Amino acid sequence: MRLVAALLACLAATPAIPAGAPITKEAMVAMLKTLDERQRNQGDWKALIYMEQKERDKADVAYECLVFRRDKDEKFMILFTKPKAESGKGYLRMDKNLWMYDPTVGKWERRTERERIGGTDSRREDLDESRLAVEYEPADKGEEKLGVFTVRHLALTAKPGIDVAYPVIELWIDVASGNTLKRQDFALSGRLMRTAYYPKWQKIFSESKGSDVWYPMEMRFYDEVDKANSTILLMKAVDLKPLEANIFTKAWLESKSR
Amino acid sequence: MNPDTFVLLVRMAFRNLFAARLKTLIVGSIVFAGAFLVVLGLSLLESVNDGMSRSIVDSLAGHIQVHAAASKDKLEIFGGMGGFPDLAPIPRFPLVRDRLLTLPNVKAVVPMGINGAVATSGNVVDNALEKLRDSVRRAGKRPTKALRAEIGARKALVRRMVELLEQDLLSAASISSEKAENAVTIANVHRAAQPAYWARFDDDPLASLEYLENKVAPAAAEADMLFVSYIGTDLDAFRKSFDRLEITDGTFVPPGKRGFLFAKFNYEEMFKVKIARRLDRIKEAKEIGGRTIARDPELKRWAGENVAQTHEILYQLDQLGAEAVERALQRDLKLPGLKLDALLAKLLDINDTNFAERYRLFYADVAPSIDLYKVRIGDDLTIKAVTRSGYPQSVVVKVYGAFQFRGLEKSALAGSMCLIDLVSFNELSGFPTTESTAEIAGMRKAAGAKAVSRETAEADLFGGGTTTVQTGHTGDVRIPDRLSGASSRRAGSAFTPADLDRASVLNAAVILKDPRRMSRTMREIEALSKKEGLGLKVISWQTAAGLLGQLVLLMRLVLFVAVGIIFLVALVVLSNAFVMATLERVRDIGTLRAVGARRGFIFAMIVVEAAVVGIIFGGAGAVAGGAVVELIGWIGIPAKSDVMFFFFSGPRLKPFLRISSVVIAAILVLIVNALSAGYPAWLAARITPRQAMATDE
Repeated sequence: MRLVAALLACLAATPAIPAGAPITKEAMVAMLKTLDERQRNQGDWKALIYMEQKERDKADVAYECLVFRRDKDEKFMILFTKPKAESGKGYLRMDKNLWMYDPTVGKWERRTERERIGGTDSRREDLDESRLAVEYEPADKGEEKLGVFTVRHLALTAKPGIDVAYPVIELWIDVASGNTLKRQDFALSGRLMRTAYYPKWQKIFSESKGSDVWYPMEMRFYDEVDKANSTILLMKAVDLKPLEANIFTKAWLESKSR
Repeated sequence: MNPDTFVLLVRMAFRNLFAARLKTLIVGSIVFAGAFLVVLGLSLLESVNDGMSRSIVDSLAGHIQVHAAASKDKLEIFGGMGGFPDLAPIPRFPLVRDRLLTLPNVKAVVPMGINGAVATSGNVVDNALEKLRDSVRRAGKRPTKALRAEIGARKALVRRMVELLEQDLLSAASISSEKAENAVTIANVHRAAQPAYWARFDDDPLASLEYLENKVAPAAAEADMLFVSYIGTDLDAFRKSFDRLEITDGTFVPPGKRGFLFAKFNYEEMFKVKIARRLDRIKEAKEIGGRTIARDPELKRWAGENVAQTHEILYQLDQLGAEAVERALQRDLKLPGLKLDALLAKLLDINDTNFAERYRLFYADVAPSIDLYKVRIGDDLTIKAVTRSGYPQSVVVKVYGAFQFRGLEKSALAGSMCLIDLVSFNELSGFPTTESTAEIAGMRKAAGAKAVSRETAEADLFGGGTTTVQTGHTGDVRIPDRLSGASSRRAGSAFTPADLDRASVLNAAVILKDPRRMSRTMREIEALSKKEGLGLKVISWQTAAGLLGQLVLLMRLVLFVAVGIIFLVALVVLSNAFVMATLERVRDIGTLRAVGARRGFIFAMIVVEAAVVGIIFGGAGAVAGGAVVELIGWIGIPAKSDVMFFFFSGPRLKPFLRISSVVIAAILVLIVNALSAGYPAWLAARITPRQAMATDE
């Protein structure tokens, strides 16, 4: 186990991108695996997040919620805690089903991967475990500058039969740190749907993983369809302590507001 | 001109016209047709306009609509091409209402808001599991006898659904190419169809339910989403102001209660079991429309769909119910030994001969064992409205009844909008309240997130720093024991008049005492809004009805163009005929001139001839048009489609004759005749005796 943890730590710490020249597909897949591996925790994950949505001709909306993950079982849940009118609402992913619970009516409803979490520009996969290497095929678009950062620009296409929010995405990966700094999501038609920025990353040590777990502390999403809409997502705290065994159930989420 | 001369001119006109009988008849026919068409066309148009205005005014719009001038979209009460309009709430609605009521012609002001939502979602298995989950949840650890029975019945239904689903999947798999994926799904469903699964169900009912919800239900057919359009309103005020509203099922929502009323037309069309609805429509088409299954392709298609979709019934029946229906059908169809699915297909295999009997049997043997409506009167209805950002808001409201507008029972448009109380409407729309706005402002302040515009985002976020990575420590994120904020919007809960006054209102119907003074009242409201800063946009019912309201204008335009073309042709033909007649009478006119007739007399003679034709034939045309209008008005034009019901404001259009139509026809005929007689009269007046004498015979 220690050996595995050490190997994973090495993989995560390796500067994944050679400077300059075009890179092979294997190297690109390795970069995606690094991104996925860094963000994966072998045990449980609990985060307090803040979301703020600006929308054309509408009052700004803000939420606080708890995000729960159990990566080994691909389990995922969101519990809204603020504002008062939204508290108790939640999302629960079980197998391939994304359920939404509304305590005001006591009902569950199956939602799609394209669900806008809380009506914001964020999606379930923005908060869930990263699975880029599993879900997408990469292609190299060269090295570029993003502000003062040198980044590797990759174009990713969803693998057949995998249900993702966006079938085509482009990533700008920091050559120095190996983290994604910018991402653009496209519809199948090629239309740009959303641009996301990840300006701050944090790493914390995970006992269960035996190495660091990385996560973006701040995410900014800009809607490219309605240009007036944007979302800020702040990861305020991440707690890697084990969760209750039965937490990823409908009954548990219901119990929080009953 | 003295009276004797006028009488002489008239007598001469009659003599001349009678002398050229054929020509007079041809010219007169054209005038007759023009007058006839003007009277008939205008009367029909006015009647349709009247019917449609009653349909719109009496069912939804009132005479005038007001909404916030600051709104992004314009109000379209039946929804436009892009769905329902995005309207800003009317600021200080109670004040606006009170001020409008001070105007002398304003009878009532009814607050409104229009939106659409999903009334049910999830497939048939999802919905059955939801009910079972609800029973399990309510039962807790010590279920009552009644709850145990309820759980037992719901389990039996789900179990039968799973068995039917397995059969369906196996049939589908035999012709599918996606073997591997199907095998997993079939294995999941097969497990849930085993007696062992149900024997262990009660050991951990919630875990058993989650298996069914996640592994089994997704394999069922796609969900049948049912959308409802609704008006959120002060229901009491609505009922008082729209007096054609009548309750057909259940009761009206009690004052001060949250509640929902289905539009009867929508309820029957959307919420009734499709097989039953198709049978009803076939019956109606046969009895009222005189259509036959043998000859009518639509009826034939409905009959075929019923035979192919018997699963709609099968999925509703648990084992006991299925056995009861099977026994009844075996007995009444005299087909002992046949299985239920085959019996249902046999029952629904209809033709013109057996239809009446099969219809009776469906309602006698099958209907009592199933829910004929997906939502029943008295049920709690969950409505999920999706806000413009795509985030759903839900409320549960009790369905108190169904309503229709008297005379508009068959109109799809008047029967398209359901009614919901204004307080629930506000919750569905997610309008911010003062408290929620303050709470969100506090959250934003605490978070301290810096706003970054999209234009400068890359420079602001990545322009300065050298690293984006920090090292931190695992935090201590606490899970609250219980979230107390989620307010319960339970069915039947009440609200106070103050809640109603605080509710956001998107538009309001203004009902007038005298609708004929609508334009003037609109101007008064605009002036009041400007003077007192009410911020209102004022529109008539035609504008509020969107494209529908413009239809009458379009029809009027088409009629006027048609009439214009007819009269233009008439003008040319008449003028030509009068010129020919004048030229044929050069010698007569020259003789008249020779015996002392002045040019003015000759001019008047030709004009009076034309006028006599116009008055006699135009008058006859107008009378004939009026008679036909009266005749049609007595018989009535039947509305043969839902849209015609709306335009006619009832099952028949009964056109009426308006004096204005006759006056317009008379004026048009006289103008055309005068214009067509002008040139030949001028020509005739210029004829001299010498010219006449020089003219050959």
